[in-house]
Amino acid sequence: MSQEIAVVGSPEFTTGFRLAGVRRSENVPDDEKESELDDAVTDVLEDDGVGIVVMHDDDLEFLSRNVRQTVETSVEPVVVTIGSGTGGGGLRDQIKRAIGIDLMDEDEQ
Amino acid sequence: MAKDVKPTRKNLMEIEDRIELSERGHGTLEKKRDGLIMEFMDILDKAQDVRGDLAQDYEDAQKKINMARAMEGDVAVRGAAAALQEHPEITTESKNIMGVVVPQIESSRVSKSLDQRGYGIMGTSARIDEAAEAYEDLLESIILAAEVETAMKKMLREIETTKRRVNALEFKLLPDLYDNQEYIEQKLEEQEREETFRLKKIKEKKEQQEKEERQAEAEDEAAPDVGDESTAEPDMEQSTAGGVPGGD
Repeated sequence: MSQEIAVVGSPEFTTGFRLAGVRRSENVPDDEKESELDDAVTDVLEDDGVGIVVMHDDDLEFLSRNVRQTVETSVEPVVVTIGSGTGGGGLRDQIKRAIGIDLMDEDEQ
Repeated sequence: MAKDVKPTRKNLMEIEDRIELSERGHGTLEKKRDGLIMEFMDILDKAQDVRGDLAQDYEDAQKKINMARAMEGDVAVRGAAAALQEHPEITTESKNIMGVVVPQIESSRVSKSLDQRGYGIMGTSARIDEAAEAYEDLLESIILAAEVETAMKKMLREIETTKRRVNALEFKLLPDLYDNQEYIEQKLEEQEREETFRLKKIKEKKEQQEKEERQAEAEDEAAPDVGDESTAEPDMEQSTAGGVPGGD
């Protein structure tokens, strides 16, 4: 079954992806992120036709704890965050918990 | 826990079987955990490279779209974006790494030629084309990152589960089983000692009884002689008494 890529974020963030052909996009202006981003992300995550969700790192801060946890652990669809941060999201904590060592920290050094 | 089991030989044998199985399982799970961690290290190295490329591609794409916005205006860029007809699609196949099913994502229609993009060549500038191309490259990197990160997440889950199982066996199940085994062995030894002591006591009692019986028999044997003497006396008296009249 073929799936598509979805983008969630501000219109400035999503425009570039739409230029590359991404059809499924959820535009949430910066001033509405506090209230709207949770619903937008949940909608996309529940869509079976979506295989990859692209978000900006900074937008994770606007998500509620539950949605953020879902975003960080979701495998189908997988959420890829790009932007200012390391992009690891909750992956770093997961690695620390599973392996017992902060491997990402070691690699950064 | 140890008090819950009945100290019987059957239970001891069952516990010994369970210990053997648990120890074997513990060893196997430890090997699986170590193998998964080794595989994970390889994927982590790949993920670091992919992340580096992704950050670079995103930076390039942002520069190019900002340039296009500055030169053509935001409306023109949005207009070009809205005209797109070909949409990238992904199909997922799976690969098995030590029992963990990880995806292999195949993409199609990500990189497009100018005429496939849908917006008119005449109405737009090369800046928009460059931005579109940069975002197409970014999408390729995102798809690769998605594949690697999904594999990482799945492997981390499996590592965590295996680690929990290993710890449960090592720190809970096996110590409990060893406790139970020790408890039953102690109880059985105690029972054995009690049994030996009891048999010893019975033997002593029996010996004592036999001794008493022998003594009684000996006394019995000795007693009839004394009885004869005592009974003989009256006879003798009688005989003497009888003899007197006879003598008279």
